Amino acid sequence: MKSVFDFLGWFPENISTFGGELDALFAIIWWVTVGIFFLTFGLMAIFMIVYRNREGHRGYNYHGNNILEIVWTILPTLLFAGIGLYSNEIWEVTKYSNRNPKPDVEILMLGKQFGWMFLYPGADGKFGRNAYTDRTARADMSATNPFGRDSLDPAGADDFMVENQFRVPVNANVIVRGSTIDVLHSFFLPHARVKQDVIPGTWMNIWFNIFKTGKYELACAELCGSGHYAMRAEYQVLSDADYDAWLDQKSAEMKGMNAAVAKEPAAADTTASATM
Amino acid sequence: MSTEAIAHSPSHEHVHEEAHHHVLPWYRRYLFSTDHKVIAKQFMLTSFIFLFIGGAFALIIRWQLAFPGKPIPVIGSLLPSTWVTEPGNGIITPEFFAQLLTMHGSIMIFFVIIPLAVGMFGNFCIPLMIGTNDMALPRLNMWSFWLLPPAGLIILTGFFTPSGYAAAGWTSYPPLAAQTGYPAFTFTGQTLWLIAVFLIGFSSIMGGVNYITTILNKRAKGMRLFDMPLTIWAIFITAILAVLGTPVLASGLAMLFFDNFLHTSFFLPDNLVTSSKYFGGGQPVLFQHVFWFYSHPAVYIMLVPLMGVVSDVISTFSRKPIFGYKAMIFAIASIGGLGFIVWGHHMFQSGMNPLLGTTFMLSTIVIAVPSAIKVFNWLGTLWRGDIHYSAAMLSALAFVSMFIIGGLSGVFMASAPVDIYIHDTYFIVAHIHYVLFGGSLFGIFAGLYYWFPKMFGKMLSETWGRRHLFWTFIGFNVCFFPMHVLGLGGHMRRIYDPNVYDFLKGMHPMNIIITYGAMLLGFAQLMLVGNILYSLFFGKKATRNPWRANSLEWAAPPHPGHGNFDSDITVYRGPYEYSVADRELDYWPQWEPGKAISVHHHTVAVD
Repeated sequence: MKSVFDFLGWFPENISTFGGELDALFAIIWWVTVGIFFLTFGLMAIFMIVYRNREGHRGYNYHGNNILEIVWTILPTLLFAGIGLYSNEIWEVTKYSNRNPKPDVEILMLGKQFGWMFLYPGADGKFGRNAYTDRTARADMSATNPFGRDSLDPAGADDFMVENQFRVPVNANVIVRGSTIDVLHSFFLPHARVKQDVIPGTWMNIWFNIFKTGKYELACAELCGSGHYAMRAEYQVLSDADYDAWLDQKSAEMKGMNAAVAKEPAAADTTASATM
Repeated sequence: MSTEAIAHSPSHEHVHEEAHHHVLPWYRRYLFSTDHKVIAKQFMLTSFIFLFIGGAFALIIRWQLAFPGKPIPVIGSLLPSTWVTEPGNGIITPEFFAQLLTMHGSIMIFFVIIPLAVGMFGNFCIPLMIGTNDMALPRLNMWSFWLLPPAGLIILTGFFTPSGYAAAGWTSYPPLAAQTGYPAFTFTGQTLWLIAVFLIGFSSIMGGVNYITTILNKRAKGMRLFDMPLTIWAIFITAILAVLGTPVLASGLAMLFFDNFLHTSFFLPDNLVTSSKYFGGGQPVLFQHVFWFYSHPAVYIMLVPLMGVVSDVISTFSRKPIFGYKAMIFAIASIGGLGFIVWGHHMFQSGMNPLLGTTFMLSTIVIAVPSAIKVFNWLGTLWRGDIHYSAAMLSALAFVSMFIIGGLSGVFMASAPVDIYIHDTYFIVAHIHYVLFGGSLFGIFAGLYYWFPKMFGKMLSETWGRRHLFWTFIGFNVCFFPMHVLGLGGHMRRIYDPNVYDFLKGMHPMNIIITYGAMLLGFAQLMLVGNILYSLFFGKKATRNPWRANSLEWAAPPHPGHGNFDSDITVYRGPYEYSVADRELDYWPQWEPGKAISVHHHTVAVD
């Protein structure tokens, strides 16, 4: 078994492009803090042994030293400021939406108590009118139509929804536009080093690019009620060919379903206009 | 000021005291007393009861995490049927788990650490350490305590409501905390929680106003601000934080209360998909801003007073002046000031603009510096000291060492990109416990072991004190250090059963070790209780100045009555003149006449 003190060995395997930088930054801070830990604990241990009370021993009346105070103010300031500036570059790359790359794949995501829903634009790569693409469509959000999709928009005919699972292609810039229909949730992909809270009424941009195919887990990281712990989903990272095949299959299924459903109301429409 | 002069004359003091003893009925002496020492003891007793309730809740949480699906031993079969999956089977439900973690956090923060750190030490230490008879506003002081027991009863009454206790975490983020699904004017666990915390906030504000007034106006003759012990400086700055921060929290709590109770919609946005129809136009993240604007300074409210206490204990038992007295004060003051511009580091992943993440990251990193300065100064105080390992000193050293670990783990989450991964994992849980248990609670133990003789006139057993601290220290580290590792494995906080996730399965043994550590930690506290009870009834009588310390409280009689001092107090020097070279004694109390000059940071007595 891994040792408790082998900190860096406990991360789950990293699968995302920026994950390596985050882990490296963690490692840098880890080694800096380990250094400070041994410095301070070492001094403390030495002082505690050397200056313990003994017969005839007496303390030293000394009120402090301004030069030392200045030194141990400036050194940590420089050290921490360095960490901060270095961190900021990585922060901007991962989170600033104006620095996100152009998306290869765009997915809409909604959290709910207690599960995850994903909407894909289908084979045409275009979303129809829904709560993300059109603000006014938010009024149509409901338990049966969480994304507020407009069934009359032809661009949305092949949009399809999956629940508690999603699939993304490998080596692609994926942008998930995330929100929630009830309380706060947090979209946490431990292996991809992704975490973003989602807020009802706001769409967040979540960017990642995964370089390894496989099956991984998605968890909710923000307390969202009694079922919070079980708000788990799986996602698959597929090769381009597998992904496209899945997308085509799902879109075709969706189109077929829409056609079947659309027949009846369409017929009703024609009769209505005919009688007019 | 003339009344103060009269109050200090011994004859008047005597008459005053006698009069009180004869005139005041028992309930004015023990229940509704305006004596700061009685109020401090009331805070202590109440908070200790809550400490055990909060601790018991934590042990149930730990049992579930280590042994999910197994009945809780001993008390399992006694739990109410709403708490367990089937009546009498002793396995708790996810709903109750969420209530437990909410109540554990809320009780420990609002009913244990803040009342002990600020209420108990503030009340006990301020008048004694600045050499006066009582607080400036004794009746307000009494009120500040008497809001605590009703608030405690109200928060615990949540159990009897249809929803059970509040279950949205101690941070109670809306919409989860704002939407009860109950009709308006229904008391639920959440609304009672909000009322209780609101009352505690009131108590903090009243206490804070009183502390500031007392410290500025009632110092003994000759005591300048820079003659005050660091405990008083720390409480002074804490009081300013509390007075500035708590009203902001109160506003947030009030809005959340209205959302719950009156179905307003401060924090509920449009287009929620829910059975309730009371929402629209609100902004959930607003609550997080308002909450953390107080609750980040609150971390310092819980920590800073104990930094002061620990400084005094370390100086006394190292028989050395505190290293860099003014640097310590400036460090506390800058922690206090910067504490108000770092709240956003709790919200890096909340969905606020990432540009704000950058600014909050930089301010957070700056606030690490004064904490580092304090640690270096404590080490400087130990250097060339004459260290006596009393229970109080061991506890103070435990504070310093655990605070170093808690501070260093804070550097990780201060870095916003690192926080992406560790946010809302057990790494955060480990950090907060290293700061608030390893820090605050060891600081509280240090102060308790140090001032107990003055509080109760009896000595605690040093042997049992050391045993208590040893096992607490071991249990604490076994319990909380592995949590860092759980966090690195990605273990989310506040989850009922980690075994749902494949990526957490390998870490289950660690959850079991942590639970054993928690049990050791919990049961070790019985040694403290036993020690206190034994000493109260059979303990050795305390002398006036058992630790040979310098500050003014040790000029008072061993168990001071109403009015505190039996002689006139004049302050001649600062509180840290230990081991002055040309004096026979290795301490030089503040109240002892004598002249000294400072030569190259050394104090030299002159005749």
